Amino acid sequence: MVGPQYDLVGNPLGAVRATFERAAVAAAAESGGHEPVAAFRGKDWGAGEVFRSFLFEQGGLDKVPVLDESNLGLIKPNTLVRFRGMVQDMLGNEFYVGAFKDGSTWRTNKFSDSSPFSMPHPCDSHLWERHLFHCVPVPGQNSWTRESSPGPDVRRMSSCLTPEQREKRKRGADNDAMDVSENGNGEASSSKKPKDDDVQISNSSLEMSMNEEHVPEINGGDHHIPGSSFSCLVKVYDMAESQVKLNDVAEFIGVYTFDPELAAPSDNSDDIMFDLIEDVTAQLPPSKVPRLHCLVWRNLSAHDFLSRPPSVEPSPILLKGIRQSLLSHLTLVLGKDELAAQCLLLHLLSRLRNKVDVVTVGRLSLNFIGFNRESVSIFGNQLNNLIQRLLPYSQAIPLSIEYLNTATLQPRKDNHSGRLVTGVLQLPQGTHLTFDETLLQSGSLTSKGVENTMLLKNLMESQTVEYDFEFYKLEMATDVQLLTLSEGKSNILPSDLIVPFRPSSVPAVNANSEELESWRWYLATVKSLSQSTETETYQIIQDEMVSAMQDDRSLGCSELSRWLTMAQIMAASFGENSLNMNHWQMVKELERLRKERLQ
Amino acid sequence: MAATTKIADFAAERALAKDFLANFAGPRGEPKYLNILQDVANRKIRSVQIELDDLFHYKDADDEFLQRVTENTKRYIGIFADAIDELMPESTEAYAVDEDRDILMTQRVDESADGGADGTDPLQKMPPEIRRFFEVYIKAFSKVTPLTIRQVKASNIGQLVKISGIVTRCSDVKPLMQVAVYTCEECGFEIYQEVTARVFMPLFECPSQRCKLNKAKGNLILQLRASKFLKFQEVKLQELAEHVPKGHIPRSLTVHLRGELTRKVAPGDVVEMSGIFLPMPYYGFRAMRAGLVADTYLEAMSITHFKKKYEEYELKGDEQEQIDRLAEDGDIYNKLARSLAPEIFGHEDVKKALLLLLVGAPHRKLADGMKIRGDLHICLMGDPGVAKSQLLKHIINVAPRGVYTTGRGSSGVGLTAAVQKDPVTNEFVLEGGALVLADMGICAIDEFDKMEESDRTAIHEVMEQQTVSIAKAGITTSLNARTAVLAAANPAWGRYDMRRTPAENINLPPALLSRFDLLWLILDRADMENDLEMARHVVHVHQNLESPALGFTPLEPSVLRAYISAARRVIPSVPRELEEYIATAYSSIRQEEAKSNAPHSYTTIRTLLSILRISIALARLRFSETVAQSDVDEALRLMQMSKYSLYSDDRQRSGLDAISDIYSILRDEAARTNSMDVRYAHALNLISRKGYSEAQLKECLEEYASLNVWQIHPNTFDIHFIDA
Repeated sequence: MVGPQYDLVGNPLGAVRATFERAAVAAAAESGGHEPVAAFRGKDWGAGEVFRSFLFEQGGLDKVPVLDESNLGLIKPNTLVRFRGMVQDMLGNEFYVGAFKDGSTWRTNKFSDSSPFSMPHPCDSHLWERHLFHCVPVPGQNSWTRESSPGPDVRRMSSCLTPEQREKRKRGADNDAMDVSENGNGEASSSKKPKDDDVQISNSSLEMSMNEEHVPEINGGDHHIPGSSFSCLVKVYDMAESQVKLNDVAEFIGVYTFDPELAAPSDNSDDIMFDLIEDVTAQLPPSKVPRLHCLVWRNLSAHDFLSRPPSVEPSPILLKGIRQSLLSHLTLVLGKDELAAQCLLLHLLSRLRNKVDVVTVGRLSLNFIGFNRESVSIFGNQLNNLIQRLLPYSQAIPLSIEYLNTATLQPRKDNHSGRLVTGVLQLPQGTHLTFDETLLQSGSLTSKGVENTMLLKNLMESQTVEYDFEFYKLEMATDVQLLTLSEGKSNILPSDLIVPFRPSSVPAVNANSEELESWRWYLATVKSLSQSTETETYQIIQDEMVSAMQDDRSLGCSELSRWLTMAQIMAASFGENSLNMNHWQMVKELERLRKERLQ
Repeated sequence: MAATTKIADFAAERALAKDFLANFAGPRGEPKYLNILQDVANRKIRSVQIELDDLFHYKDADDEFLQRVTENTKRYIGIFADAIDELMPESTEAYAVDEDRDILMTQRVDESADGGADGTDPLQKMPPEIRRFFEVYIKAFSKVTPLTIRQVKASNIGQLVKISGIVTRCSDVKPLMQVAVYTCEECGFEIYQEVTARVFMPLFECPSQRCKLNKAKGNLILQLRASKFLKFQEVKLQELAEHVPKGHIPRSLTVHLRGELTRKVAPGDVVEMSGIFLPMPYYGFRAMRAGLVADTYLEAMSITHFKKKYEEYELKGDEQEQIDRLAEDGDIYNKLARSLAPEIFGHEDVKKALLLLLVGAPHRKLADGMKIRGDLHICLMGDPGVAKSQLLKHIINVAPRGVYTTGRGSSGVGLTAAVQKDPVTNEFVLEGGALVLADMGICAIDEFDKMEESDRTAIHEVMEQQTVSIAKAGITTSLNARTAVLAAANPAWGRYDMRRTPAENINLPPALLSRFDLLWLILDRADMENDLEMARHVVHVHQNLESPALGFTPLEPSVLRAYISAARRVIPSVPRELEEYIATAYSSIRQEEAKSNAPHSYTTIRTLLSILRISIALARLRFSETVAQSDVDEALRLMQMSKYSLYSDDRQRSGLDAISDIYSILRDEAARTNSMDVRYAHALNLISRKGYSEAQLKECLEEYASLNVWQIHPNTFDIHFIDA
């Protein structure tokens, strides 16, 4: 409806305001001039529509740069950017003056931190709300996912900035940023008042950028130290309360703002009185934590990370082919242990389908036993590498006494700063965790170590992580795939499926990128397949289970549950959306082989 | 002109407020607010709390006025204060003179009488605040369900809202200047400046007429002693765990407490507050962005601590109605029991017992000072993985006050109490353990068998005397622990060993066992029916991703809690005519035990008390003031079932011939009453006391009817013996 007379990437706010003023005039005409903008509270007046059609229908998405730590400070403020990350903390709502009357026209401040028009002091205004989310790069995100959605090169785009200015912006952001102004006379003003701590700050920012280059990809460990890594404060508008959840991975497309006035340190002496009303945003300096006023957002699934999603329909024949190639690759990686490879495939395809009361349906945690330090260094590393290249988020955790005693696994609310301090177990849905238990030696656990093991056990058994809110604990549901490599059956991490690992050769394989891509697509597709419910097969299975229980008294709920889970995943792995007796037989055969090995 | 109409409005509003304060009559017809004002005048109290409930019930209630008060509360506090100023009576009693303030006030009054100050200058006019000794609070409706912090939106700004939450942080109490008073060096006048924000710009130049005329630019000196200060405290309130939607994290809100409301809360308190939701006025540097974002806070008007005891549980909204409706339902006992942990399949009798544990019986204090406990103690014993812990946790959730702990409690305080050295003062302090913390509630102890020996001895005292005595480090005292103990234990060898006797399996000393009213063994037995049920359940869950329909809708925990708390208010008595019945039942249990050559149980006088307790709890569930015979029968049945769960071989032995056993019971009953008829309901009562099911009774009835031993009434199933 609105022709893009505004450069939506370069000047998104112009478009926002233009649509607003037009809508306000229209509303005023309709309502006869009585409170025309009141209806716009918590609603979109057409601005979101403009951007949505530009981004998704006219292919504008590729023109929008991706905000990350490397180009922070290079992107011009008040331009359109996108950011992919995990919602790490929800900072509550912010009330802002959404609309005010400037003379006879209504103006809006939506999607911005500051108003381009001075506000007449006493004026008609409307207070609106927006949600604040603190987003971080996804913990454990694997490098291949980043290739999938490259934005245009920012350095090329911001060619209007001279190198000095760029340098200046980077540095100046930390201190008195007043001098970073659009017309570039910053040089002079900063030289007028040289600051003592200038050098120090540029040092520390240098250090910071050094650190950032060394962010380990496997562990993502640095993401868990608050403030040490890149993050983004996203302000979301017009959203129903429940749409975005904690730990969701989403792409936010919106206006990047950087207001030098707000960036100035605000630790004025008269703030002493505010010992409780600490402004959370004050701890997130805009120079380090960019603000993003979100126009459009969407949740990301594993499919969104595939670089070229094949447009073909997932037909069983196609899936079966890929299954075969993936399985044979897994077999090679696991030293020609076919049984282990089968189990690993099922494990990789497992996902939490639902939680029924206390039972978690669909998860299949796997424990390979029979590892020692040497075999872990051979097979474990191969396995980790492969998982990293197959799944969007994965982490490998070395489970040693020292780690258990020192690591911060539990996310905790810091009531003094008002923020959620993240822990290792704050993970997005669908993360894969590999625990290496061979590092464990006998030793004593501290109380923190005991707490950590309890957390891990809870995660294993009920797929929940308790977040500590000081006065009470809140259980957060997770969907994490857990793989344990251990010497004997792990008692700290009681897995669903225990498989003795019997390799017969040394792994020496490498997959080419084409294969990897097809496997990624396979894993993402199979996981999202829906299951139909046919009664007959289930009826037969039920009868078989009863007779199995009559034979073996040690069978319990968990075993039956596991068999069904495996059968269902088995069916899905062939691309079938209903379970049939073949799959059930295959699972029974697997179980038989596994039992043999266990004896 | 808009301003003038507003002022006129406010004058009218003030008249309304005055009318209300002067004429509102309390429940006994007394002038409630005038009495309060008199107390204020006499300096007995400082706060005037205006309740919206009263405004609502006021005979000349004006709905629109009420609406305006809730939506623009801050303004109306001023209006009510003005109205109170006008109504304030003379003090009728002498009070201790608050020196500084009163001397200053007399001086001021004298001065203004002299006409020394030219009254035209607003800054020289004494603001009413400085004269006031009272603070006005407007309290929200008490019956309204409080909002969660999440529900407080921009549209609530300026309104009176009621919220609930947990206090996470409290600041120190600080003075907040309400009226700044200056004196001028030149003209000597007192200059007043009202402070409405957290900061203010002090005056430097005397604004009085005299100084202005003389162009003296009189220097003003702030008089701290003459100024009026208010106590001020900031508090952070966080959403309660149960109000946080799945996948979200709790929100917080800043609350300002002023004057009398300060020091009322501590971190960790669960409170309900009413207050005015206001945007924060910005100043200084923050004002630069004030135009765009606003921080908000709640100015507290009232604070209520959340009640955690049954006795103080206040019914909300339609709960009374729901309870009444449930009470009419004949099957309430089953319905409530099934609603406990509905996701755990089966175990009806265990759940019934747990329900009775929640209800309990009243404590009795005899004339000679002896106390008889009313709390029921239950021990669940069983194989691992039979959902014992889940049952325990669920019960704790339903109970308003409950503590869940394991026998190997991690804290050094353990279960009972400990003396600890305060690291700061080096004094010994007494710290209560789980049992003390659960006073007047329920203490669930998991892994009871793995308890430390020292705690286990202490538990003897807790379970019968309901106190914890401590003699350590020079502290000798006894703490109340009136708690119902719900214990869960594993058998001695982890799993129940069928080859050993129950006593060996249980592995708890008889002294402890006899203190439990009911002891339940939950075994994981091989049973085709159970296996099928389990397989069906697992398959259903995986197939449909939901648990199979329960066949009934479980009651919400909140309803359960309300019902139980209502039931706990009833204090039933045992009627005289039942005494004989209970005594006979008790003696027959004793005899049975004496007959058996290997008694497993210890039927003592404690057993008799248990029967009484369970019967009274059952009567409470019916909201009945007297215990009925059916209650006693059900109590006996539960005890029998609990025994059978332990000594299953007995049951199996008798189960071989359950039918003939039932027959002999009925035969005996007919012989006892010397009649040929036994009513069906009565028969059912009799056999269920022995632990037989209704199905078995029916089977028995059919079998013997076909033998022409008796006739069964086709509709009522009453039994008529055919005399041979």
